[in-house]
Amino acid sequence: MKLLVVEDDATTGSYIARGLREEGHVVDLVTEGKGGLVAATSGGYDVIVLDRMLPEIDGLTVLKTLRGAGTLTPVLLLTALGDVEDRIEGLQAGADDYLAKPFAFGELSARVAALARRPQALEAETVLRAADLEMNLITRQVARGGVVIDLLPREFALLEHLLRRKGRVQTRTMLLENVWDIGFDPGTNVVETHVSRLRAKVDKPFSRELIETVRGAGYRIVA
Amino acid sequence: MIRLRQIWRSMPLRLAILLVALFAMASLLSLAASYAVTQASFEESIRADLQQDLAGFRAAPSARAVAQLVEAESRAADPGRLILSYIAPDGRIYGNGAIAQDEGGFHIFSLNPERAEFEGEYLSLTNALYGGVITIARSRAEIVALRGVFVNILLISLLPTVLIALSGGLILARRSKRHVELVERALDKMTSGDLGARVRTGPRWSDDLVRIGGKLNQMAVAQEAQMGALRDVTSDIAHDLRTPLQRVALYVQDLQDRVGDDPESAALTAKMQGEVEGMSHVFNALLQLARVEAGSPKARFETVDLCDVCRTLAEMFEDSATTSGHVLSLDVPAAPLCLHGDRALLGQLLSNLIENALRHTPAGTQITVSLDMQGPAPVLQVSDNGPGIPAEEHSKVLQRLYRLDRSRQTPGHGLGLSLVQAVAGLHGAEVTLQDNAPGLRVTLRFPAADG
Repeated sequence: MKLLVVEDDATTGSYIARGLREEGHVVDLVTEGKGGLVAATSGGYDVIVLDRMLPEIDGLTVLKTLRGAGTLTPVLLLTALGDVEDRIEGLQAGADDYLAKPFAFGELSARVAALARRPQALEAETVLRAADLEMNLITRQVARGGVVIDLLPREFALLEHLLRRKGRVQTRTMLLENVWDIGFDPGTNVVETHVSRLRAKVDKPFSRELIETVRGAGYRIVA
Repeated sequence: MIRLRQIWRSMPLRLAILLVALFAMASLLSLAASYAVTQASFEESIRADLQQDLAGFRAAPSARAVAQLVEAESRAADPGRLILSYIAPDGRIYGNGAIAQDEGGFHIFSLNPERAEFEGEYLSLTNALYGGVITIARSRAEIVALRGVFVNILLISLLPTVLIALSGGLILARRSKRHVELVERALDKMTSGDLGARVRTGPRWSDDLVRIGGKLNQMAVAQEAQMGALRDVTSDIAHDLRTPLQRVALYVQDLQDRVGDDPESAALTAKMQGEVEGMSHVFNALLQLARVEAGSPKARFETVDLCDVCRTLAEMFEDSATTSGHVLSLDVPAAPLCLHGDRALLGQLLSNLIENALRHTPAGTQITVSLDMQGPAPVLQVSDNGPGIPAEEHSKVLQRLYRLDRSRQTPGHGLGLSLVQAVAGLHGAEVTLQDNAPGLRVTLRFPAADG
């Protein structure tokens, strides 16, 4: 993928760029808003990582200008302010996702990947599949290799979320946001617990593991 | 009903009513006085006529002449205006009427068989004349008519005045009510965090309201500037501190990747990462507390089901509680219990309360999250049967960064309950700490729904 990183802090910027390059992406790094805007409008990027606080033209203005000019490239906004109000302001300005500093690189990488392959519209699928696992969204029945698996509602929602994003890493915070609808981290191991319960039901009785832990990042269902 | 009462209690209408009452009283008094004067002069002239009539009869030389005169005149007179009667010395009655008296007062009877009794009021004069008694009565019909004229004058002059004044007062009252409501609405917006709200006065507003509106706007501008300054400061600080924190986080991660499998180094980098997360946590808490206390996020309020928030948060902590040997139980109604609020902040509030209970009570402690309606008000409680907090410390623990001596050694930053307090305040809820005998019970009483 071709990515644009607009980040005024050289250290953070180069770390992000290096990390993303190591993952095989082509990364352009710009350190101020004006340059970022020029680069972003010249196009060709799959995802833009934009710092909210930039010298001269700040990130929000860059974002609004971009959206005003009709550029629809997904934008991940980075911010030093991490509260809900700030987040909503960013999303209203046209950001597709939002990440508060300090963040772990794994989190950034997972969110960038999620944005790049964002489903255009939620397909009207009625059955989600991964290998021999089947989830029927209408009967709300889950079966693997023909064996019916009983799931609690939250486990079902978690599995559905992972299945819909098959192959993509979902971080703890992404799962908290989407499966539990919680915009903050309560600092408990609720995600880990549910994933391990889900594994006990979906993976353990079978030979092949479908739910994979990605170290330092999160979980994904093997494509 | 309430609207009518409001209009009734408004200043312009009350003034209008007062003025109308005063005006009505003055015109009534002056009309009454002129009526009395006119009536007196009318009666005076009737009496003068009666005296003159009598003088005419007196001029007759004898009783017989009087009788003839009375007969002659009464034939010509309209009995509705003039009644004459002469009781001659021999007892015979001449004229067109006779006066009799019973318990109901005086009555005039017709001597003419066609009319038994005269209607209307008369003024009469009775006098002895040549051994007989002469009675002359003149009708008061003109005076009675005068009363009607005055009543008409009263109705014609007073009624329209009253109606015009009253409807003018009503219109003014409604207009001023509308203006006051506009001021109120702007104030409501300002107090609920919309600092951009202004009182927009119009050209037809009364001067005093325009002045009050102007002052309110000045106040809002000043407050907005202060809030803006606060926001700038917090975001500057946030930026200045987060950037290095971000770098440290990335360095630590880098280091983690390099140390590989050496367990001691790995443990050290894990600790470093934990500290970075802790710092960022305190930082978030401080920033958020500042924002919530400033009251600005209220614009984001939506309908929130408290039952759902309780269930989600209980689920969040279920496993941590089991791991630390606590028993976390949930007691919420099955039906949704909705209020107007900020879901994320309410979740955080509950998260902080549960976290506090888990952190400051020993294993084996029972922690209960309960939600129910007490009257019209939703009440949320988090209670435990742990060691509790001494009563004299109850108010202090809600202060920012305050920590009990014995909790210095446990993790935490002393901001948890301050945020609880601030979020509760934002939602108009009242926080109380009570002795759960044993343990601590934190109660949040939300304002009555739609009250």
